[in-house]
Amino acid sequence: MSTETDAVGESTDSRSTSSRIHLGSILTVAKKDFQDAVRSWLFWGLSVLFFLLLVGIAGALSYFGEDIAAQGATTDALVFFVSQVTKWIVPLIALILGWKSIAGERESGSVKILLSLPHSRKDVVIGKLLGRSAVLSVSLTVGFVLAAALVAAFLGGFDIIDYGGLLVMSMIYGMAYTSIAVSLSSLTRSTTIAGAAMFCVFLLFYVVWNSLGVIFRLLGEREFLFFDTVTYTQEFQGQEMMAERRQDWTYFITNLDPGQAYNRGLTFLTDVDLLEQGSTTSAQMFGGELPIYLNDWFSFMILLFWIGVPLGIGLYRFDRVDI
Amino acid sequence: MPAITVDNLTKSFGQALALDDLSFRVKEGEVFGFLGPNGAGKSTTINIVLDFARPTDGSVSVLGMDAQRNSRDIRQRTGVLPEGVKTYDRLTARQHLEFAINSKNANDEPEALLERVGLEDAIDRKAGGFSKGMSQRLMLAMALVGEPDLLILDEPSTGLDPNGAREMRDLVREENERGATVFFSSHIMEQVEEVCDRVGILRDGEMVAVDSVEGLRDSVSGGTSLRVTVDRIDDAALQAVRSLQDVTRATVEGEDPPTIVASVNGSKTAVLSTLEDHGIEIQDFQTTESSLEDVFRSYTTGTRPEVHAQ
Repeated sequence: MSTETDAVGESTDSRSTSSRIHLGSILTVAKKDFQDAVRSWLFWGLSVLFFLLLVGIAGALSYFGEDIAAQGATTDALVFFVSQVTKWIVPLIALILGWKSIAGERESGSVKILLSLPHSRKDVVIGKLLGRSAVLSVSLTVGFVLAAALVAAFLGGFDIIDYGGLLVMSMIYGMAYTSIAVSLSSLTRSTTIAGAAMFCVFLLFYVVWNSLGVIFRLLGEREFLFFDTVTYTQEFQGQEMMAERRQDWTYFITNLDPGQAYNRGLTFLTDVDLLEQGSTTSAQMFGGELPIYLNDWFSFMILLFWIGVPLGIGLYRFDRVDI
Repeated sequence: MPAITVDNLTKSFGQALALDDLSFRVKEGEVFGFLGPNGAGKSTTINIVLDFARPTDGSVSVLGMDAQRNSRDIRQRTGVLPEGVKTYDRLTARQHLEFAINSKNANDEPEALLERVGLEDAIDRKAGGFSKGMSQRLMLAMALVGEPDLLILDEPSTGLDPNGAREMRDLVREENERGATVFFSSHIMEQVEEVCDRVGILRDGEMVAVDSVEGLRDSVSGGTSLRVTVDRIDDAALQAVRSLQDVTRATVEGEDPPTIVASVNGSKTAVLSTLEDHGIEIQDFQTTESSLEDVFRSYTTGTRPEVHAQ
């Protein structure tokens, strides 16, 4: 290595150089991790899965969806239906991919190979996140690219922006869950505990968070504590009507769900009407202007949060434990 | 400047004390054998040297740098063969080495490294199909990347056949002649006595002896070891043997039949006649020059001998 590191080691002896982040190291670890995973059947299995998902839904649309085809909104429908599936399976795949990323290497001891080389523990955590995210992203890309020709044939052409938007959004969404998985995996040396943690995350977002909206509304109707509902005026077929909604902050909580953010992000990136119709909130509910966290672009902040916060916890913890 | 300085190192895991106020030095340019039975704390010490684990108390410096604060710089100049580690199943031997070479920004050739450990034929095979010995050779090759100033080999003979163990010792010598300091842990004395300049013996987290191989041999009464196989043994007879002037140590091995192992400086017949006086029938006996293995055993089993000064 360069004389630079040596100088750092000697001149600033009182400060730690061990826990610094080093881009070269991160990329080396990420590359190794990617090579390690890319050879497994899982990677090719995923590519085929995404390919079949796209081709299958495109095929079904062209077969059953003559009306949709007539309206020229076929990519819209494709993006909508595919996103409803990927919303559920991308997290599952990311959790499975990240589950053993660090706990597995600690359990088998091979993490000592990584850490015997001049990588900091932070390099290892970030490198793992990038490596595993790359596995998911590349398999998504392979599936999407291979399917493109067939999708175009089935649908008679497609909107590259919507198609690309779905791909990009799925990658970001996958990275958020990969970050959660890798970080949890770095907190334990038992793959059994790591696996249990993945299952809890799955339950948390799929079951608990998804029911939060309903729970908040029920509590509001019962005027329980501070869950009181808010009344607003709504225009419906030219008439003004009074309606009730939940407290502002409950929308913030329910919108923290990465799956919600995925939907809203897609609405932002693509112009798929079906996605916008699915939205349960409107500016009218908030007196004409949406709170900042209900804007579609804000979903990127939420996904960034889900990438950054777990990563931060993983970096902090893994730097301090005995391997 | 010593290659490794361990000062008053203590490491506890909850209630259990793995290392107790351990201090020793590894000189620059020497081959240091770090010896001790399994569970003595060898791996814990190495883990702290490499910053895999943090000390409860005390400090470690490696190549003049603090083991905790400057671990990355230390590892840049150190080659490590970790113990009991699985290689990456899906990566080939070449990919393993490329990973180590890229990690250290070195410019070694994977082919040349694998040739040194006798694994050149398996260069493009995945490590998942390797035997334990092959994995060990591969990791040794990884440790050699970048001409390290310090080699830390944790139980390097694990999984190697006698031939492989000899090749490994040859490599240790080559690296040492190149100028590398070698820190080499083992629980088997004969693996270290041939190559090591000095040996440290660890027991229950404490260094019970640090000396050259010759010095160690001399430290345990130097004399011969007498093995007497008898039909039975009782405490009175054993005590009588121990109390003989020329006997420095006597232990019993095995039960059916028991064998008395005694270190004797002078007359061996005194031991035999003492046993016979106690009505014990001698079935067989042999004498051997006290080997380092005996030295090791004397330090790591039975009553604890006095700590031999460094």
